[in-house]
Amino acid sequence: MTHTNHRLGERADLNHDYVVFMYAAKGFNDKDVGLKLQKFMKMGYVYQPVNAGPARTGDRFMVEPEKLPERITRSSSAYIVYDNREKAEALVKDLVKADMGISVVVSGLFDEVNNICEKAGIKSHTAMCSLGIWGKTGLLPEDSEILGIATMCGHSMIGFNLIKRMAYDVETDRISLEKASQILARPCSCGIFNPERAKDLLRRYNERKTIRAPIK
Amino acid sequence: MKIDEQKCIGCLECIDYCPVGAIKEGQNSAYIEQDECVECGVCLKVEACSSEALYQPKLEWPRILRAQFSDPRVVHPTTMVYGRGTDETKTNEITNRYPRGYIGIAAELGRPCVATRLKDVEKVARAILPLQVEFEQDNPTYHLFEDVKIGKMREDVLNERVLSAILEFRMPVEKAPQVLQALRKVAGEIETVMSIDIGARLESDGSNPAADVARKAGYEIRPNGKTNLGLGRPAAEGKGIGR
Repeated sequence: MTHTNHRLGERADLNHDYVVFMYAAKGFNDKDVGLKLQKFMKMGYVYQPVNAGPARTGDRFMVEPEKLPERITRSSSAYIVYDNREKAEALVKDLVKADMGISVVVSGLFDEVNNICEKAGIKSHTAMCSLGIWGKTGLLPEDSEILGIATMCGHSMIGFNLIKRMAYDVETDRISLEKASQILARPCSCGIFNPERAKDLLRRYNERKTIRAPIK
Repeated sequence: MKIDEQKCIGCLECIDYCPVGAIKEGQNSAYIEQDECVECGVCLKVEACSSEALYQPKLEWPRILRAQFSDPRVVHPTTMVYGRGTDETKTNEITNRYPRGYIGIAAELGRPCVATRLKDVEKVARAILPLQVEFEQDNPTYHLFEDVKIGKMREDVLNERVLSAILEFRMPVEKAPQVLQALRKVAGEIETVMSIDIGARLESDGSNPAADVARKAGYEIRPNGKTNLGLGRPAAEGKGIGR
């Protein structure tokens, strides 16, 4: 019931994180939906996504982008991730025109998504909100950047330790920020992870840690 | 998942890839704490081992549940769906799962990256199901229960550890505050975290009854979430799977 719904972060950085996905309804319109999903993917690639993926068949960092559309014939959903709302808006407008009859969901800031709908001439139908994380929250890292990165994989495949290690490896010049964000993206099978936002969060995490370091 | 100690060269590169910290440093090699491993398959998928020491043994019941609930590439045999939940709001304009007047609430235990024993899932179910909400039958978690009226899960699965498991409920709008209150109470009694969702069909003026209910009950709504644009071909009025 959740998947892209709990992407934690501040409003400013969430405005660089929009997931547009097409989702067939099981038992209603999922039969032979592959061609429509392929069309969706091709339309989404026009606006240069930062990640994309059909569920289970890999993601942009494990499958060449040009091969993705052909690999989703057995899937019932497909995902496109953008680092700004304008790209999401452009795709939504195209999807409204294409009228494929398959559900389309946008994950992002609600007011911005509503704005996208208005500009595309449609009214949104249903919304799912997050009430945050409850329970034993002391088990979570305190750093908002670590949580922001981890929650970009809706299946929790990107653990806190890997994120901290990537931050450390970048800070100590073992790897580039670009490479670190790609490594972080790999465990996410659906391809909904936003590596561009991850780069920003890693950078901010390392800068903040430097500021906090004791002055000798 | 297991590590072949004969092949492992002890580089420990795999340790950080495990989202639940189940890979440990042994005397001469890494090993996987079997009770902690959720069988998500991440370590194998990302090829975390250069010496090919990681291998996946055949999983038997009830351990197979770990893979079904943790690895989104594994299909649930009870629902024949990948992943951990249902279409929920994503296809609501077609399925009518949440018609006007109804609210959907979900509690995803173990998320993010903490994992959960199924006994904690049962604990939350026992707090909610007696409130006479509708328990989502298309969610794989449903099939683990012996008695859904009281939230009793089958004994042999209770200690299984999974990356996350979702309890999905539907209820009339007026019942939602009571359910949220019960969730808040039981949140203090579990050994893990849970991410909470609330959703509904939007009103014709664009307002969100789910958000309104939560705010009135004193809960903070995150500024981002999922919006179904309504582009799916809708079922006829009153049709779909909505009861």
